[in-house]
Amino acid sequence: MSDNNRFAQFKLVLLGESAVGKSSIVHRFVKNTFDNMRESTIGAAFLTQTITLPESNTTIKFEIWDTAGQERYKSLAPMYYRNANAALCVYDITSRSSFNKAQDWIKELKKQAPEGIVICLVGNKLDLENEREVDQQEVIEYVQELNQENDNVILSECSAKNGEGVLDIFNKIGRALPVEEVINGANNRSRQVGSRKPGVNLSRQQNQPQSSNCC
Amino acid sequence: MSNMNLTVNHNRSESGYSNNYSLLEMYGASDEEDKEEIDDHHQFDNVMEEIRANSLSSFVTPLNSQTIPKILSSDYDRYGFKKASLHQTITRKEYNEWFTDYSEYSLERMKKWKDLVNSSGIKYDDIPTRFPPKSDKTKKLIRRGIPSEWRGNAWFFYAGGYERLNKHVGVYDKIVKDTIGVKNKDTEAIERDLNRTFPDNIHFNNLPKDSKSVKDPKDIQDNDINNKPMIKSLRRVLVAFSHYQPQIGYCQSLNFLAGLLLLFMNEERAFWMLVILTERILPKVHSRDLDGVHIDQGVLMLCFKEYIPQLWNILGKNFEGEVISEDKILTKLPPVTLVTSSWFMSVFVGIIPIEAVLRIWDILWYEGSKTLFRFSLTICKYCLDNKTFKAKNDNDSGNTEFEQIEIFQFMQSYPKSLIDPNKIVDLCFKKIGGYGFGSISQDEINKCRIFVSKQRDKMKKKSLITNISEDERKMLNNDEIHDIYGFNRSIMNGVKWNNNISNKMKKRFSRKTSK
Repeated sequence: MSDNNRFAQFKLVLLGESAVGKSSIVHRFVKNTFDNMRESTIGAAFLTQTITLPESNTTIKFEIWDTAGQERYKSLAPMYYRNANAALCVYDITSRSSFNKAQDWIKELKKQAPEGIVICLVGNKLDLENEREVDQQEVIEYVQELNQENDNVILSECSAKNGEGVLDIFNKIGRALPVEEVINGANNRSRQVGSRKPGVNLSRQQNQPQSSNCC
Repeated sequence: MSNMNLTVNHNRSESGYSNNYSLLEMYGASDEEDKEEIDDHHQFDNVMEEIRANSLSSFVTPLNSQTIPKILSSDYDRYGFKKASLHQTITRKEYNEWFTDYSEYSLERMKKWKDLVNSSGIKYDDIPTRFPPKSDKTKKLIRRGIPSEWRGNAWFFYAGGYERLNKHVGVYDKIVKDTIGVKNKDTEAIERDLNRTFPDNIHFNNLPKDSKSVKDPKDIQDNDINNKPMIKSLRRVLVAFSHYQPQIGYCQSLNFLAGLLLLFMNEERAFWMLVILTERILPKVHSRDLDGVHIDQGVLMLCFKEYIPQLWNILGKNFEGEVISEDKILTKLPPVTLVTSSWFMSVFVGIIPIEAVLRIWDILWYEGSKTLFRFSLTICKYCLDNKTFKAKNDNDSGNTEFEQIEIFQFMQSYPKSLIDPNKIVDLCFKKIGGYGFGSISQDEINKCRIFVSKQRDKMKKKSLITNISEDERKMLNNDEIHDIYGFNRSIMNGVKWNNNISNKMKKRFSRKTSK
């Protein structure tokens, strides 16, 4: 690993109604596979995947928390998005109600999640375009309105089934994450590891009580 | 009130909890029936026919000299699960290697069970419906595994299924009738999960072969026509359950529990087993606020701390890497509970290979909820003892969330590779060569549950646990939080919740508070 290859690690959570395809997006991203019938996620699943942003020569490792979508699991949600650097709020473009749910999640995150969390609103199942219930224009307007209030919600559509747009989501998020701050040590949530050899001192001094939010 | 009424009491009345289906109501409701349309009657008759058609079939391939080679050459196991893809960590070859030995073991077990049943004077044709009374000998046999051909009946017998069924003759059919065509939030959620329940099992999923035979476009439009009888059974059981237990409704994970039961018994029995499980073994775990999840995870964490302190030192930390102090265990469950809570909710289905799940279920129905804690501890300790786990924690840096997630990932993937159920059972119970978790008693778990539940009630009474925002919380200093959550010396001293653990806790507390 050359000196100018930079490395940072971030926590990313997936939120959204059940069966919108959260796990499918993750599996497309992490394993590049897709199952037509995927078992419902109970509790949470933990995965990691790395991307490289060539323009800044930065490697970003995503620590992915995939969560169960059913309403009642919400009581566990604060544990999920606590300290999260990024959140995917996923909806199914063929389901109006799932879009409403994704909006609820965005509201919830703005109230409860760490300040500066990168939020990406993701419409999945793009392969079912002819069954679309959620109009793209409407989503764009919704996000524009959000972003007027100094928010920076990223908008994306994808198909976990055929892979379209999935990697793009994570690249966009990678570019929006405060990589510089992390690498310069200004952030004590995510840190530069520099080299991933074991035994490297992982900046113990950063384990201060009640770390501040990420930016 | 409901919070105090912790359902560890095995004799708790059902009527306060469930939709009350009294016999009177069932047979006296002629007015309502008059209003029903003829269509509904037809529909009901059809449904009843479907239920009857399914009711005799157990989906387990019996083991004998003819079937064993067939199972070995198949892509699917004797329950219809795909050998290789369900748990991607085990290959078909590994499965067959294991099954070659285990099928012999299972045949030998069958002989032992036949001996015990015969010597207990129980007569039966094919599969017994009654089983030997509880005894040390029976318990020993249960722990070594019930033959799969007998599992459904044995589970039902030892879980107290007959008592339920006999008290509620015809109730299941009545609920099914009542819920025909019902649509609500629960049924919506059920629909979404039906085809996401055991997609790798031939009894649940339509293989491409089957769907080819459906040619009429009208049929294709009607989604249900493509569904296997098992999916229809699963729908009926889950809908009936959500109607009968409105405090629970439908909770994701019940689909896997009902699904597994349906491989071993008919709908009506599966329904009552689900009722027994959610009332008596996992109270409130599936309820709308998942209260029981928080309680049981609190209990499990106290067990970690007590019985696997090395593991607690690694995982009993908050996201900032600070060890969670005793008084805060229950207010802020450590992140590892995000891994272990699903073990309870789905009773290990999907967590470990299927045969190991079945072996734990054998013990669970016979011995009760302590089984869940015993095996959760076993699996965690086994993870801890693994080299990979040690390596992940080697540099003593398992202090931050990023190191923790590596450990979580390991704790999620490693159990899926534990193909030998005898190994897990031996580890759990053996005092020499195992962890000896058989010493954890039901009484201890019950007391622990009551303790944790009471503590949570105290927090709730202050109504701050859910309403307080993170900012408000920050504004309070630590001592105040201490008070708000009800963890202070007087409360701790006032509760005698566990002889094994409480004394230690008290000592630590008095030391701390007297400083």
